[in-house]
Amino acid sequence: MKLPKMRRSLVLLSSLLLVSFAGWCGAAEKSPQSVQVTIRSILAANKSDEFDPKLKGMEQQLKSLKYRSYRSLKDESKTVPWQGTQSFEIPGGRTLTVSPQEFQDNRIALKVRLTEHDKPIVDTTVKIANKGNFILGGPPHEGGALVLSISATAP
Amino acid sequence: MTNCEIIRESIGSWLDGELSPGESDSVRAHVAGCGACDEVRRQLEKLQMVLKDELAGEAARIEFMPFWREVQQRINQKRPWHQELRDWCRDFFTAPRIAWSVPAVIALVLALFSLDSYVPGWRFGGARNNFAAVDSIDAYGRSVALLRENESKTTVIWLYQDQEGENEAAEDATKSGPAF
Amino acid sequence: MELSDSELVKQCQAGEMSAFEELVSRYHQKVYMVSLGLLRNRDDAMEVAQEAFFRAYRKINSFQGGSSFYTWIYRIAVNICIDTQRRQRRNPLDFRESMDSVMEAQDEVAKDPFADVHDRELREKLTKAINELTPEHKAVIVLRTIEGMSYKDIGQILGCSEGTVMSRLHYARKKLQDKLRVFL
Repeated sequence: MKLPKMRRSLVLLSSLLLVSFAGWCGAAEKSPQSVQVTIRSILAANKSDEFDPKLKGMEQQLKSLKYRSYRSLKDESKTVPWQGTQSFEIPGGRTLTVSPQEFQDNRIALKVRLTEHDKPIVDTTVKIANKGNFILGGPPHEGGALVLSISATAP
Repeated sequence: MTNCEIIRESIGSWLDGELSPGESDSVRAHVAGCGACDEVRRQLEKLQMVLKDELAGEAARIEFMPFWREVQQRINQKRPWHQELRDWCRDFFTAPRIAWSVPAVIALVLALFSLDSYVPGWRFGGARNNFAAVDSIDAYGRSVALLRENESKTTVIWLYQDQEGENEAAEDATKSGPAF
Repeated sequence: MELSDSELVKQCQAGEMSAFEELVSRYHQKVYMVSLGLLRNRDDAMEVAQEAFFRAYRKINSFQGGSSFYTWIYRIAVNICIDTQRRQRRNPLDFRESMDSVMEAQDEVAKDPFADVHDRELREKLTKAINELTPEHKAVIVLRTIEGMSYKDIGQILGCSEGTVMSRLHYARKKLQDKLRVFL
């Protein structure tokens, strides 16, 4: 039996709305307004065998660095506009400056600068997956090494 | 609205037998005592009768066998492919369950693709490729290692201390630095 | 003993063409009447009535008895009529044989109680007035008038509520009364 006229219209209308919504979401994803940048400061050391429970979810990534212990020092998250700049205070008198450059193929191009007492240590430009991260580490800290997890999300 | 106007709105339904017994009695009583409303009743009944007689008269002339032969011919005749396709599309897209499945499938697909926003770590189509592409590095004279950890698909930029060592306390750290 | 519609449908679904023939025999005139009432054209009405039974035959296996067979076949016929009317509005033909010219041309007499001039004029005006209604309003008037169907059945056929049927009927009757007052 043919669908009643009103219900038919409802079905077509809801399909159209859903497709339009999907299109809008797709379009929105291609041009997000800003980026959510999260910096996790971690101390990697060999003085104990502890693994900070706060770092759950990063075991695989951190254990590849072959340190015996990992402790979360600081977590910070900020919204950064495209082409804008945002600074994060990092333990040990360091500053991490992040500037999202562009969004393409679901990847975020980030310019990152790490300074220590205003002296640049490293400048790098990385393209990471949206909602992904990369690790920047090595500067000495409290008898171990400072490890920074830098992640970015374009909503 | 006058009582007559209210009653006239219900005369059609009353003649159709669609009013409740109470409503029906009210209308009947009013019509019996109101010439104007009774005239409306008479007109509606005549309208119905004229239309019915006209169409019934026409329909009575339709003989069954010629009609049936035409229907049989349609049933037995092979239709052009484009007409079959059109009929199939019409049946498929207007069947109640199928019609509702269209927006349901769209909603399901949208939900699957957005699930990773709500379920951390979940991703449609398998594990995310987390490798980062490093376009440039300037370590200001320091040694730097660029590594990829395959299991977690993570890119690691590791800064080594320069040979002279800016921070003696970091010696232990650098000695037992990451061993990839 | 005469079989019920649902028993005939079951036999059709089992492949008995004779059962379908019996169903056509029961309802072909009524389906034609409804189509004629909506389209006001003999050829179109015949085409629609035959097409309606053809589509019913094709879909007979999907008929689950949720409604009566006659409600179902009327629904098919009304939908074809509405589609036809919409197509005709988009592509009007230069000449269409209408009810009034058919009636004028026929020579048959006497059995038709409305053979006199007054009633012929009424029929012409009636045809014109009905054609000025929207397809949905035409459908409720025709189904109610010809078949004396309940609002519930009409609502099932047209896919609308009983309240909508009632308001459409009221509107359609009012329009027809206003246009045909002199003749009524």
